[in-house]
Amino acid sequence: MSSVTQIAPTPVAPVVTRPRSRKRLRKAGWNVLGLLVLAVMVFPVYWMVSTAFKPGHDILSYTPQFIPTHPVLSNFTDAIHQQFFWNAVKNSLIVTSVVVVLSLVLAFLAALALAKFSFYGRKPFIVVILGVQMVPLAALIIPLYILMSRVHQVDKLSGVIVMYLTFVLPFAVWTLRGFLLGVPKELEESAMVDGATRFGAFVRILLPLLGPGLVATSIFAFIQAWNEFIIAYVFLHTPEKQTLMVWLASFTTLRGTDWGPLMAGATLCSLPVIIFFVLVQRKIAFGLTAGAVKG
Amino acid sequence: MAELEFIHVGKTYGGEAPAVRDLNLKIDEGEFVVLVGPSGCGKTTALRMVAGLEEITEGEIRIGDRVVNDLAPRERDIAMVFQNYALYPHKTIYENLAFGLRMRKVPKDEQRRRVEEIAQKLGLADMLNRRPAQLSGGQRQRVAMGRAIVREPEAFLMDEPLSNLDAKLRVQMRAEIARIQQALEVTTLYVTHDQVEAMTMGDRVAVMRDGVLQQVDTPQRLYDAPANLFVASFVGSPPMNLFEATVEADGTQLVFGETRLELGGRLLRDYSGRRLVVGIRPEEVREASGWDGARVRGRVLLVEALGAEQLIHIEIAASPLERADLVDAAAQPPGPTLGVEELERSVTLLGRFDRHLLLTPGEAVEVAIDPSLLHFFDLETGLALPTTDVPAVAGVAG
Amino acid sequence: MASVAESGYIPASRRRRFSRRRVGQAVAPYVLLTPAAAVIGLVLAYPLYLLVKMSFQKYGLFELIRHQGKWIGTANYASIFHDAEFWHVVLRTLLFTAVCVSLTMILGTAIALLLLQVSRWVRIALTTGLVLVWAVPVIVAVDIWRWMVDYQFGVANWILTELHLGNFARHDWFANPWTGFGVFTLLIVWGAIPFVAITVYAALAQVPHELLEAAAIDGAKPWAIFREVTLPLLKPIFVILISLSIIWDFQVFQQIWVMLDGRPSSDYYTMAIYAFHQSFQISEYGLGAAIAVVMVLFMFAATLLYLRQMLRTGEVN
Repeated sequence: MSSVTQIAPTPVAPVVTRPRSRKRLRKAGWNVLGLLVLAVMVFPVYWMVSTAFKPGHDILSYTPQFIPTHPVLSNFTDAIHQQFFWNAVKNSLIVTSVVVVLSLVLAFLAALALAKFSFYGRKPFIVVILGVQMVPLAALIIPLYILMSRVHQVDKLSGVIVMYLTFVLPFAVWTLRGFLLGVPKELEESAMVDGATRFGAFVRILLPLLGPGLVATSIFAFIQAWNEFIIAYVFLHTPEKQTLMVWLASFTTLRGTDWGPLMAGATLCSLPVIIFFVLVQRKIAFGLTAGAVKG
Repeated sequence: MAELEFIHVGKTYGGEAPAVRDLNLKIDEGEFVVLVGPSGCGKTTALRMVAGLEEITEGEIRIGDRVVNDLAPRERDIAMVFQNYALYPHKTIYENLAFGLRMRKVPKDEQRRRVEEIAQKLGLADMLNRRPAQLSGGQRQRVAMGRAIVREPEAFLMDEPLSNLDAKLRVQMRAEIARIQQALEVTTLYVTHDQVEAMTMGDRVAVMRDGVLQQVDTPQRLYDAPANLFVASFVGSPPMNLFEATVEADGTQLVFGETRLELGGRLLRDYSGRRLVVGIRPEEVREASGWDGARVRGRVLLVEALGAEQLIHIEIAASPLERADLVDAAAQPPGPTLGVEELERSVTLLGRFDRHLLLTPGEAVEVAIDPSLLHFFDLETGLALPTTDVPAVAGVAG
Repeated sequence: MASVAESGYIPASRRRRFSRRRVGQAVAPYVLLTPAAAVIGLVLAYPLYLLVKMSFQKYGLFELIRHQGKWIGTANYASIFHDAEFWHVVLRTLLFTAVCVSLTMILGTAIALLLLQVSRWVRIALTTGLVLVWAVPVIVAVDIWRWMVDYQFGVANWILTELHLGNFARHDWFANPWTGFGVFTLLIVWGAIPFVAITVYAALAQVPHELLEAAAIDGAKPWAIFREVTLPLLKPIFVILISLSIIWDFQVFQQIWVMLDGRPSSDYYTMAIYAFHQSFQISEYGLGAAIAVVMVLFMFAATLLYLRQMLRTGEVN
């Protein structure tokens, strides 16, 4: 449940019996190619982290140093002491935690309606939920700005939170609905036959089974809110109110190209996301596409 | 058409116990052989090795005069029917049937002719433009058969092709497959876990257990003269009654519980004074009235009315098998359900009786057992014992 | 759910209670939906309406302060459609999207297929690496690539020079928009590959074994099996992935914006940046809105494709 690697590999073509040694050689060839791809894909991330640990003179060298021979932490202290860093951390935490909690509650209610009731307008609503995910954020910035300035929500975290909520909700509703549908109806029914009320069955049976789904959805909401840039950039003007991503993006404009601290800051900003991502990425991949391949 | 032969074939998945051990089996041209055994016995692995879907670890497999060990599935010229049919969901029935021909570069008009002919034969002619999802289970099964037939391969391989059908359809398709196979006379290897299917369909039946071939014979011979305890308990439904007994009086008497059976000859001379396993088919357990031979006293536990006949569970005094590992796990009779205190060690004897016999649970009964219809097995090895004087019990119809 | 109530086997005295419960059942889903629907309506539907309305208005700084646009009909559209710059931007955005989506899909699928071929430990390593890349926030990714292609100390220039592909010392990738967009393409494709590769891999793993085996026995060679069985089965996944990729790549904004310090030259305008520039930098909000509307219409095609596929695979029932 927790990692991709448990997906059973399916050979594209069934094993064709061939002399052993040739087969082994071919496997080795694929493995080398796989490691090569891995190296190319991961290199940028490695480069960020290794730069973050290099002293300034190693960074500004015409012959790049691939392994930091004298790792230092000064870049990190520089990044942390950069102006507004702690403000940004605080803002990001406020925004993400509120978005996570609110989106979870709202999405869960909506998912419950979509998964457990049949009612007039259900299908259109699902289509809207799916379609809304496709609306280009960049195009909506303009009217959103007008709207938010009318209700005096520009340069306020609350305005940003409401906007984030909107962009997180459709996916959250969709994912939770999938999880709800995955719980066999018989479980609830047997609980009700055993004497539980509908609500009791919900609390005792449904909720525990939904645990993983709620966790996955909240982490998704977290990642979305944490990584978002455009809205925060457009709507939060005051430096004290900016989130981490805006802080990071404005890093260089303040101090030119001070790569060491910048990479240290970037590493710090990615850390929570990377941790959470590793926890749930499989669910997200499946959420978007589950059931699309039918045998 | 070709013959199919396993020669000392073995299969091991890295580090584990072998899935198939030293399998030797020859299927003649046009013959229908059923490979049967409980799940995990290696029968499907054996089949897949023939298809080329599993590597052969040891020995060789021949199709006709070719050793196929190193050939890709497509080069072996066999057709296979899968348990869940494996129809291509995105292709129409016509395309499904024609796929093999197309891959083998059969000319277009020839493809059409053959597909339409087969569709006609199998009653699929109206459905050629539909997709598998729009067909019923039975129809899909027939498409799967059609896809195998249309290629006119050297051999058919079938992997539990009926297990996804409901009981009635299964019986119907059982006959249909057997009929098709007879008409086409294609060498066929058929895998199933259902011994009824095996007995009704195969020219010969090969029983496997734990990767080892136990016995290969015609269904009747398999039933009448099982080679060992496993085959005896696996073949037949309800299964053969088995219990332990002691041979006495120089091999002329069999003792279990308070019963002493005269064998009518020194049948078990070599086992005198030793214990062995006795087996008797449920239909050979008879009503005692009018029988002047040995009787066994017991008590009725349960009566199952089947309409034409009834199955009666009778508890008798005898020792159950010590070595449960020698028999088919699914065939183990349930233990006594009514605790009958006076019987210290008891077994349940299953009898098939005429429906007119009126018995109720708890009632004491006497049943007749004809010693000449008994099967004997060694306690340790589970092998059937040769009886010296009298020929094997074959064919004494009850 | 209401089977007891419908069975008609209820004493009269209890009927009222059941029927009230039934009304509750009918209202409940709407109550549950309301909060989510309200937020989505407020922050998506209304702005969408506002966007269309503004695109027919003169909406500058003055109107922004007054909260009131001035109706000018299709003048905004006429103005952008007669603007050669606009068509350049459209073409550039389309081309950029096409290249990015194709590369992402091809490379992502190739990696997914590679994942099936390698040994278990390589597969674990590679998927972990992919997830790592997937997790990198976009802004961080931009900073990393900006550092890697830095004209003075960037590792890219050094490697290319060492590989004798020419002298790249102090090569400024953004001096020429073609090489500049090359960098953006790499950045975006690099970031998008993990999602595609992992999703396609997961889908490949869902393709039933027996179908592939049946095809092999039917005489298909490995490539034919892939083309005839695997690919058609994966088509729904591909449709979904392609439409998502189109939507993501077509509205590319932040990568270019941040990479070029929020001051991209007009050679680097994509539709999103052009609309942003028109609105927030020269305060022609009406014009920006018109460009954004055109952009939404372009993306609507991809959305339809996506919706149709989702509806067809029965996800919606």
